[in-house]
Amino acid sequence: MLEDLLDDVAQNSTFRHIHPGTKILLGLGSLLICLVSPTPVIPLVSGIVISLVLLIPARVSPLVYAELLLAPAIFTAFSIVVLLFMLGGGEIIWRFSPVYWINLTITDNAIRQSELILCRVFGCVVSLFFIALTTPMTDLFDIMKRCRVPPELIDLMMIMYRYIFITYRQAHEIWQAQVMRLGYSRVKESIHSCSTLCGMLFISSWIAGEDLIHAMDARCYNGKMPLLEEPEPVRMRSFVPVLAYLVALVSLLLMIITNTVVISP
Amino acid sequence: MTDHILEADNVRFRYPGAGEALCGVSFSVRTGTKTALLGANGAGKSTLLLTLNGMLRPTAGEIRFHGKPLAYSRNELRELRRRVGFVYQDPDRQILAPTVWQDVAFGPANLEYDDAKIRHVVKEALGQVGLAGFDRRVPHHLSGGEKKRVAIAGILAMDPDILVFDEPTSSLDPAGAADLMELLDEFNAKGTTIIISTHDVELAYHWADQIILMNKGKVIHAGTPEEVFTNPALVTSSNLRMPAVLEVYTELVSRQMVKKTQSPKSVLQLVSSLEQNFSKPRAERALGTITVCDVDATGSDEITAWIADHPGFRRGAMGTRAKTLAERKSIALDFTYGVIDKGILWALVGEYSVLLTPASMVPHVYRRVDTYCRESGNTIAVIPMSTKTRSRPSEVIKKEDQKE
Repeated sequence: MLEDLLDDVAQNSTFRHIHPGTKILLGLGSLLICLVSPTPVIPLVSGIVISLVLLIPARVSPLVYAELLLAPAIFTAFSIVVLLFMLGGGEIIWRFSPVYWINLTITDNAIRQSELILCRVFGCVVSLFFIALTTPMTDLFDIMKRCRVPPELIDLMMIMYRYIFITYRQAHEIWQAQVMRLGYSRVKESIHSCSTLCGMLFISSWIAGEDLIHAMDARCYNGKMPLLEEPEPVRMRSFVPVLAYLVALVSLLLMIITNTVVISP
Repeated sequence: MTDHILEADNVRFRYPGAGEALCGVSFSVRTGTKTALLGANGAGKSTLLLTLNGMLRPTAGEIRFHGKPLAYSRNELRELRRRVGFVYQDPDRQILAPTVWQDVAFGPANLEYDDAKIRHVVKEALGQVGLAGFDRRVPHHLSGGEKKRVAIAGILAMDPDILVFDEPTSSLDPAGAADLMELLDEFNAKGTTIIISTHDVELAYHWADQIILMNKGKVIHAGTPEEVFTNPALVTSSNLRMPAVLEVYTELVSRQMVKKTQSPKSVLQLVSSLEQNFSKPRAERALGTITVCDVDATGSDEITAWIADHPGFRRGAMGTRAKTLAERKSIALDFTYGVIDKGILWALVGEYSVLLTPASMVPHVYRRVDTYCRESGNTIAVIPMSTKTRSRPSEVIKKEDQKE
């Protein structure tokens, strides 16, 4: 049940009390640095450091974390294989040409490029996971308001957020009821059950929508959705390390860039 | 000026394309009372409740709030819905914001309160239902009872005159239901009129001041619980059953084991009418006492110390604040529902007990024990918990003097 897992982990995170802005700064900052880095070292270092932060002080269960990383890992692995053959330039390291019209080659440039992409993906995914695993949606709404996202949009998102869990639970209950009556035992049966489930969910969401309007009316709705605007204060204890880390990452990046400029012909 | 806060006069309602759900309902509710709408499924209870805050508009007849017929303009409806708070049966239908704080603040924000006032009323409301500190929790992580409390807090934050509950205890476990009803008693003690719909006869019988018995969209009878339940014809004709206490009592009366007096409302009253027939003379038996502790005015450490000093006392707690305190200080409780009655029952067999109660329920304890003493002729002393730092309220000293 990955659907509630991510938000659950964030809700129960030991980093919950840290100001969401600080966490977003770390996540987006390292994401940006990983993206612009021309060498694979920076994203690799950033990915490892943030993973360690997530696993040790933030106490994300290693199993959950591994499971989360698995999905992008599989996707990236396939893409890298394709990229290895697609990219060109430089010396040919390996050639596969059983017949004259099939000619697959791997060049050293392709390896370097793929390496860089692999590390960038790793660094960026970990940066985003850092935000997802430590900052619950409910804290992000507040940040969005500060960033002047239109309130209508935030209100809609808040209601959607609330109903994701209700609808998910309903879907789960319907699914269980179907399985209890052998709903998914055969292929034909599965298609039928699945379409019934979708139909039922549609109807119940429709009713839930009407109920929502009534519930809002019953509570004097006048176009306002309140937002709790007192997040934890920005604390130096968490803000300073984040800033120090980002500065260190940037300086490492600059050092490597200048070095490569010196070394390469 | 009438002291009826709410009156329904020949109210009829028909859902589009269906038969009549309400066929001429008339009743009235007095200010500050507890009313239970009692009826089997499909009797029209929920429909009737929804007409009370203008969610449904009767097809005929009229509803009066404070003597004034309801008006259905947008502004009037908003004001009405602020003053007649409606708590849905299913809290998931009512909770619409992503966090507890936001949900409770929904009503106040839409009533255009300023920020400071919103914060204040939300804090109050959450405190009253015993969910202080739940601000940032998300509803889907809460238990059924907690969700119900959030829904109630959301209504309380609008400061209504009447609280209307549709099936308040359905979907709660027995302890949760008892807790909730205690909470309602607490609101009632502060002067809020309460109307609930239920098909739980036990609950309606001992809790309500007035019962409105409904069947098939009609009011069959409106009156005190005794009136309704001592009339077997009424009870069976509306697909309900007699409360267990009353059933036992009727059987005992028919076997002449007790004298027929007033129908007992609780185990306590049943026991005392039995005792009057069978027990030894009063003088030979020493009665226990009941110590009352106001958890809002006494420090938790003082309470823990007192309880450690008095190990033989039975301990009971009323209301969420008292129960949370007991849990926090790991005070083992012997009883958590029907607490005052249990205290009296223990006192009757010579045991001592201490009740942890919120400030608003302290007078209620005295009243309840007083009433019992007057009815039974026993004298059970109610003593405030005396910790060194606290001066005794004068009323209590008077009580003690009386006793001596």
